[in-house]
Amino acid sequence: MSQIDASATHAHDHDHDHGDDHPAHLGHHWENSKQQFEAGKLGMWLFLSTEILLFGGLFVAYAVWRANHPEIFKYGAQFLDTFWGGLNTCVLLTSSMTMAMAVTFAARGKMVAVTICLILTLFGAAGFMVIKYIEYSHKIHEGLLPGISFYEEPHASHLWLPLDELGHEEEATEALIAEQQSAAFAVETQRESELPPPPADAIVWTKSPAATGPEGFTDSKLKIETSELRLFLPESVVAKVEDALPMLEYSEHHEAGELPHLTHPLQDPERPVNAQKFFTIYFMMTGLHGIHVIVGGIVITWLIVLTLIGRFSRGYYTPIDLGGLYWHIVDVIWIFLFPLFYLI
Amino acid sequence: MTTLDTGHHEQPRLAKDNYLTHSSGLLSWLLTLDHKRIGLMYLVSVLGAFFMGGIFALLVRTQLLTPEGTIMGQDEYNQAFTLHGAIMVFLVIIPSVPASLGNFVLPIMLGAKDVAFPRLNLFSYYLWVIGAIFFVLALFTGGLDTGWTFYTPYSTDTNSAMGGVIPALTAVFILGFSSIFTGMNFLTTIHRLRPPGMTWFRMPLFLWSIYATAVIQVLATPVLGITLALLIIERAFGIGIFNPALGGDPVLYQHFFWFYSHPAVYIMILPAMGIISELIAVHSHRHIFGYKFIAWSSIAIAVFSFLVWGHHMFTSGQSALVTVIFSAITFSVAIPSAVKIFNWLATMYKGHISWNTPMLYGMGFLFIFTIGGLTGLHLGTLATDIHLHDTYFVVAHFHYVMMGSALLAFIGGIHHWWPKMTGRMYNENAGRVAWCLVFVGFNVTFLTQFMLGSQGMPRRYATYPADAGFQIYHIISTYGSYVMACGFFLTAIYLVLSLFNGRRAPTNPWGGRSLEWQCSSPPPHDNFSEQPTVGDCYDFTVLEWSEKEQGYVWRSDVPHPGSEADQPTSEGSH
Amino acid sequence: MMSFVTSMILSLLGSVPPASVPTDGGATFWMPESASAQAPFVDHLFDFINLISYIFLVLITVILVYFAVRYRQKKGQVNFSGDGPVHNTPLELTWTMVPMLLVVAIFYLGMVGFLDLRRSPSNSYEISVTAQKWSWSFDHPEFGVNQSGEVFVPLGRPVQFLMGSADVLHSCFVPAFRVKQDVVPGRYSRLWFEATKPGTYQLYCTEYCGRDHSKMLAMVHVLPEDEFQEAMGKLATEYMDLPEHDLPTYALERLYNRCASCHSLDGSAVVGPSFKGLWQRTEKGETVFTDGQKLSNLVGTGKEFATPEDYIRNSILDPQHLVVQNYTGAMPSFQGQLKERQVTALILMMKYLDRLVDAQGEPILSPDLPELNEGDGSEGSEDDAEQATGTDHSKDNGE
Repeated sequence: MSQIDASATHAHDHDHDHGDDHPAHLGHHWENSKQQFEAGKLGMWLFLSTEILLFGGLFVAYAVWRANHPEIFKYGAQFLDTFWGGLNTCVLLTSSMTMAMAVTFAARGKMVAVTICLILTLFGAAGFMVIKYIEYSHKIHEGLLPGISFYEEPHASHLWLPLDELGHEEEATEALIAEQQSAAFAVETQRESELPPPPADAIVWTKSPAATGPEGFTDSKLKIETSELRLFLPESVVAKVEDALPMLEYSEHHEAGELPHLTHPLQDPERPVNAQKFFTIYFMMTGLHGIHVIVGGIVITWLIVLTLIGRFSRGYYTPIDLGGLYWHIVDVIWIFLFPLFYLI
Repeated sequence: MTTLDTGHHEQPRLAKDNYLTHSSGLLSWLLTLDHKRIGLMYLVSVLGAFFMGGIFALLVRTQLLTPEGTIMGQDEYNQAFTLHGAIMVFLVIIPSVPASLGNFVLPIMLGAKDVAFPRLNLFSYYLWVIGAIFFVLALFTGGLDTGWTFYTPYSTDTNSAMGGVIPALTAVFILGFSSIFTGMNFLTTIHRLRPPGMTWFRMPLFLWSIYATAVIQVLATPVLGITLALLIIERAFGIGIFNPALGGDPVLYQHFFWFYSHPAVYIMILPAMGIISELIAVHSHRHIFGYKFIAWSSIAIAVFSFLVWGHHMFTSGQSALVTVIFSAITFSVAIPSAVKIFNWLATMYKGHISWNTPMLYGMGFLFIFTIGGLTGLHLGTLATDIHLHDTYFVVAHFHYVMMGSALLAFIGGIHHWWPKMTGRMYNENAGRVAWCLVFVGFNVTFLTQFMLGSQGMPRRYATYPADAGFQIYHIISTYGSYVMACGFFLTAIYLVLSLFNGRRAPTNPWGGRSLEWQCSSPPPHDNFSEQPTVGDCYDFTVLEWSEKEQGYVWRSDVPHPGSEADQPTSEGSH
Repeated sequence: MMSFVTSMILSLLGSVPPASVPTDGGATFWMPESASAQAPFVDHLFDFINLISYIFLVLITVILVYFAVRYRQKKGQVNFSGDGPVHNTPLELTWTMVPMLLVVAIFYLGMVGFLDLRRSPSNSYEISVTAQKWSWSFDHPEFGVNQSGEVFVPLGRPVQFLMGSADVLHSCFVPAFRVKQDVVPGRYSRLWFEATKPGTYQLYCTEYCGRDHSKMLAMVHVLPEDEFQEAMGKLATEYMDLPEHDLPTYALERLYNRCASCHSLDGSAVVGPSFKGLWQRTEKGETVFTDGQKLSNLVGTGKEFATPEDYIRNSILDPQHLVVQNYTGAMPSFQGQLKERQVTALILMMKYLDRLVDAQGEPILSPDLPELNEGDGSEGSEDDAEQATGTDHSKDNGE
């Protein structure tokens, strides 16, 4: 996009090449502003086609995986919050509207209105990223991560035991487990009477008896768990995980009196094999889109600066137009991502 | 035009204000927005990378002199062939013609003052430089031994592949964007900066091929970008997208990779074909035969290139149906290629063929590309490909196409436009000798590899069984590569010498009619002070040799195209 | 059908004798020795394409050279006539259509041959093949025999390889059979052939797989049916029937070739530590691991390993558990691939290595081995016989 401002300094260098009728924004190799504008627009459309192909690879991966394993996507989608996703869609659509307004105002030469609209668009971009941050941090917190991380650190949440340390400080951690295990038993027996019974809706939401407490825990479930882990974790680590899994049940049940509204995937006997694939493709696609939103934010900021220093006029607002095109494509991609992940 | 009219000197002089002398100082080069300077910087950089890749090639060939390996261990050999492949493909061949010669020639041929987006053009160049730096970084962060294809799961397995994989992937990712931006720039330039009179079918065929190339660059490279980005994340964080242990699919990677890398083969060969169209027509002094067939065949090749990637995966285990379909489409590429060959031959018919270095490269191309294309039949045919896949037969085939055709056409193009770029003539006899060395060396090196491959020698082998009869072929091949290296060194020497003591180049040393031969040599900073008038760029009958100029000038008995009396030249452009 | 079509096309083109397929299937200028039922078709097709290629290459080269000489620019020529044609649509259509028809024919033949290469007969003799860096392992389920580095296949019977990879991509290629198939981790792939000539043929890995890719070779021995049955029967019981005394030699001859790409016998460090002196280092507990531990701290009563033999057994079955310093832990596990008695044989081989091979790692023909079943402080022979069938590893005879 550096071509957008391919004018000022450049034309300055070669002022002697041109007559007086050559405006400052016009590059020396252009005949007139219209030619330059049309070329800029064509270049932008070509760039946008490469953007679509960039995402195209991921959309193909999504399609292939979803066709092969629809159950993974059905299962994974329940961990996404349609509320935040929907809100983000609204934010992005609104910002797209203000962007379009900015372009229209620019064409009419109303630069104050352009500035206001661009600032509103920037707020939209920032708002989108804030909501993305909320969603991401929630997922990371719960260990709903792509690839192998899905199995390595599901326990970062305060609800879960820090399993990832098990591999490192073996003896200390083993002692810690033993200690906590006895403590948990003590707490359990002590609190059994004190705690109110789990709220009824928690049980309704729950996918399996496992999450309601240690009673629901079965050996068969453990086998599913660890046989899958064996595929890519060393035997020693698997053994530690096996040891600690019952612990997860206790700590989850009792910490802060909180009940998770869904079974954590790692404990869910109904979890499809390779459930982490959903989070892999989710993070890759929304992450790449997020990067584009950040780039868009930078572009908009830069457009605001140029508008404020009076670079644009009714006769020349190509960068705003091109920036708008870019912002719309970012919007359109999200329009596809939202239903693919949150709704279907 | 003006330069042609004013040709009344004893010796043509360097125009006082040309693009080389327009401004001076290092910064005036590093920050230049002039497409000619950027093209020249690309040329120097690409040739530097070519030297590096060539060194690795010689190491690889020397290693294979003896069955147990001659100079390296297994690891070093694996690194050597990986770097040879990666440097040659990503740093040399892909940017070679479009980014260096294309950058220099395209706007002038078109009659424009510059490319559409000069800053983007400079940015592309620096992306290339950053990519090259990342490749160097890969060497210092543990090396690279994945092969240039980066096949998973080997490349993502941190236990087996080396530490330089991520820097190298980053390098290719960045180089991909350099290529995309160049393609975008050329497409926009050709669409929006054609001066009046330069209709699509008046464009020189080199521009057609660059246009087809740019379409591929813009449409295929983003897929490589996202694939490599995924591979980087896969290797760094184990997201499992290509890892079977996590439910991923290594064959998906191959599909993604070849979806780019097969069209990339045409990014390499199409501009080379464009150069050959120019070389053969100009140096045969004969109107190109079947202009439209050649132009459309470039577009056809670009379209087909997106549909044949699966032929790299005939043995990968993709379904038989898919394999058969890919084989069928693959054969369709043979047809436009054959059309071009026959058209070039017909162009020479009744021509006036100068046996100078560019034409020798052009004729060498016809021979080498014929072999490269015909052996493509063996590989596109399913039953025989099963036997030949991943053997030296494939190695020989793609060297015939990528090196013997694409790179040698590039070298031929350098000779063709050398007088224009530098304002100096190189030593013609040295050029002919060097061409002989390169041509003979090349064929000795790679013809033998066809036999090696069909006899069963697998590629990427640091050692080979002593009793399989491979050694004699390897020895011949290695000596051939030394001969070829000598040819390249000789070329480098006389080209560099010509900068200091070469004869001043006339405006039109070969008798070309496309617009770049109407600018002075070297061209002025702005290419054209006035919009040039465009005629049929392959009608050479209006030119004649001038002893005074030591170059070609407009025939005195033919009205000048700029004048009122000019009739639009007919053939080929209707 | 397919040979019919081939001969049809070949006769149309002037009846080309199958030049590169002599009746004895020996090597020709282009093709290596041919020894499978599929090979003649592939070779015919290769010759057919070659013929077309020669015709076109000669045609183009002759025209090229003729034009270059005939129309060479004359000295002193100053201007050019434009009397050559600029285009000729019928001619151009001709040289568009002729190649098109030719490639359609070639494509069709290639497809027919390919489908034949992919479709394995239902009565094939099946061998499970495991590819891993950098060796081939062949399992004969019918006989319960595992071979590595070499495989016996019956003559004149379709053989199917059912192939899987333990790590990265590999590819199985036997030039003499004209067959090749990638081996992809996470899925099975098949390859079939019918050997038509007894003999020994080279098998290559043709998909780049890392450091010792070029050493990932194996031999295919084609044996007539009776010899094949005999050989398999012998292999099936070989290590069970062998006296203890012959176990080290057995390990060196039959098992070591799978270790050879990483563990040398002459003391040179390759991917893994050399076997030379390995037992001495182990016995003294000198080995140091990547985490800095010394082996002597791990061996002994009540420690992780009761005896040095236990440590070596663990290294074979769970190599990632302890990785020797300065090495990368590239070794795959051989759990389930080696019978317990074979593990014992390997351990014995390491113990008596200096009597089995000389300083350069070359085998000594008649090694002077001690009488092992007398007991020499290592594993008792009765134990070994039991372990050969069991999976549970009992502690050593020390207890």
